[in-house]
Amino acid sequence: MQTFADSVLNASWIMLVATGFALIYRCARFFHIAHGAVFTGAAYFMFSLTHWLALPVSVAAPLAVVLGSLLGCEMEICVFRPLRRQHASSLVGLLASLGVYIVVQSTLSTIFGDDTKTVRTAGVAEGLLLAGARITSVQIVTFLLSVVVVSSVAILLRTTRIGMLIRAVANDPELSVVHGVENDRTILLAFALGSALASLAGILVALDVDMTPSMGLNPILLAVVAVIIGGADSTVGIALASLLIGVARHGAVLCLGSEWQDATSFTLLLVVLLVRPRGLLGRPRQAVGA
Amino acid sequence: MEYLFHVVVIISIYAVLASSLDLIAGHAGLVSVSHAAFYGLGAYMAALVTVYFRAHFLLGMLAGITVVVAASLVVSLPSLRLRDDYFAIATFAFQLILSNLLNDWVTVTRGALGISGIPRPVIFGWEPRSNLEFAALGLSLVAVAHVVVGRLTTSPFGRVLRAIREDEVFAQSLGKDTLRFKVTVFGIAAMLASCAGALYAHYMTYIDATSFTLNESMLVLSMVIIGGAGSRWGPLFGAAVLVIIPEALRFVGFPGPLAAKLRQLSYGGLLVFMLMVRPRGLVGRYGFGR
Repeated sequence: MQTFADSVLNASWIMLVATGFALIYRCARFFHIAHGAVFTGAAYFMFSLTHWLALPVSVAAPLAVVLGSLLGCEMEICVFRPLRRQHASSLVGLLASLGVYIVVQSTLSTIFGDDTKTVRTAGVAEGLLLAGARITSVQIVTFLLSVVVVSSVAILLRTTRIGMLIRAVANDPELSVVHGVENDRTILLAFALGSALASLAGILVALDVDMTPSMGLNPILLAVVAVIIGGADSTVGIALASLLIGVARHGAVLCLGSEWQDATSFTLLLVVLLVRPRGLLGRPRQAVGA
Repeated sequence: MEYLFHVVVIISIYAVLASSLDLIAGHAGLVSVSHAAFYGLGAYMAALVTVYFRAHFLLGMLAGITVVVAASLVVSLPSLRLRDDYFAIATFAFQLILSNLLNDWVTVTRGALGISGIPRPVIFGWEPRSNLEFAALGLSLVAVAHVVVGRLTTSPFGRVLRAIREDEVFAQSLGKDTLRFKVTVFGIAAMLASCAGALYAHYMTYIDATSFTLNESMLVLSMVIIGGAGSRWGPLFGAAVLVIIPEALRFVGFPGPLAAKLRQLSYGGLLVFMLMVRPRGLVGRYGFGR
């Protein structure tokens, strides 16, 4: 039961990061590794707001989400938009994003140091006993928020005008320009929204298990796994894939020991890439396969 | 003076790594972030064979080469179906699995404790002791690697690699078995990386998993891109620049740990800057699809 609860919790923040990542991936068409830096950045924004400005968590958290979202937009405006203007390939996008990730991580570690920082005010909470599993209140909030936020993003994409714009750019950027969509602004919007999701995840994880400057790398790679397995254009696919990863990671703890979590999840990725590169539920894509 | 020769040894290790990675990334166009995995495997094999079995230095190196060439198949065979950014993601997965293995397979690798007491090498009766002698050894390895890479890339083999980079389907249509070429080039590059690993292990006499992480892979890739992918001198140049920057910072008076962070910051920033302004690198020709 504890394993199941842990898997679901793990899955819920992977899903948050992955949904944001997929949003950016669909519009801008490259693997945005620096999404992980937004995740970390938001956690450290949260830390600075609560420690240096002494704001309560309830005020600092939304502010940190906004700041994290701005950080994502800044990356888009300073790096990825100019690259797109030069018609850079998606590979160059990935490499540049990797560079941005390194810059943000090393900046954070220069400013804050490499040691673990905490935003938890109370001591270690014992947690509620729920159907045989110990769950803290932060973890319940994480689960509920991620489900609510991800489903509202899905609804937003389907029903509103903003969602339609994003889907148009994702589908065919040339055609959307012909129809008068401002692609750059729409992509910026996708970056803002996607980065907000990553920030939210970063803050929730920081509230649960503290933060280090390198905390963002694993979530972003797991999000990539989730998006590749689930297919970028399917919210349900991403959610199921996140659950699969969560179960695999915590199943690995049970069967192999906690140190093999990463090896298990990335072996899963390699196998999926080899056997079914378009993902379990995804549609075929031109970019994949020879 | 000893310090200067130490820097020369480090530069030559990275020069071998960068020029072998350039064979894959620059010439064949397969961007890989798993080079530190091959480097680490080579170093660990060399260390294990010489420490546990008290075998000869060259035997350890040979064992490293064998294992690494076998491991390179894990990365090169997926390139049958994956290309560009999807391939890069697969190499991410491989690197992380291997880091996990080196760090947590405690019975063999001794985990975070690392392996100490690696003997200095004896080559036909000559035992390098001072840094000067190691610098000579390192530079001769660079020379060998440079000649190997140069011969390969100017041969018809190299021409096929560049054909794969520019248009793989076209190369196939000319009857080239492109998978065979990719597997071969990966094997050769991994072999060179493994030799660099052996040199590192025997020079430092102590290794642990932190020297062979994803960050290290990204550093080597940055060297290739900043120096100039697909060119003769670019990777060597990139290696020298990126090793000298932090040493120079330390020399000017920055404390060691800060210099290490600034190095990360500078190579991340340089990577982004070069991709935006001069994607073919300082002295290179190939700009990743532009």
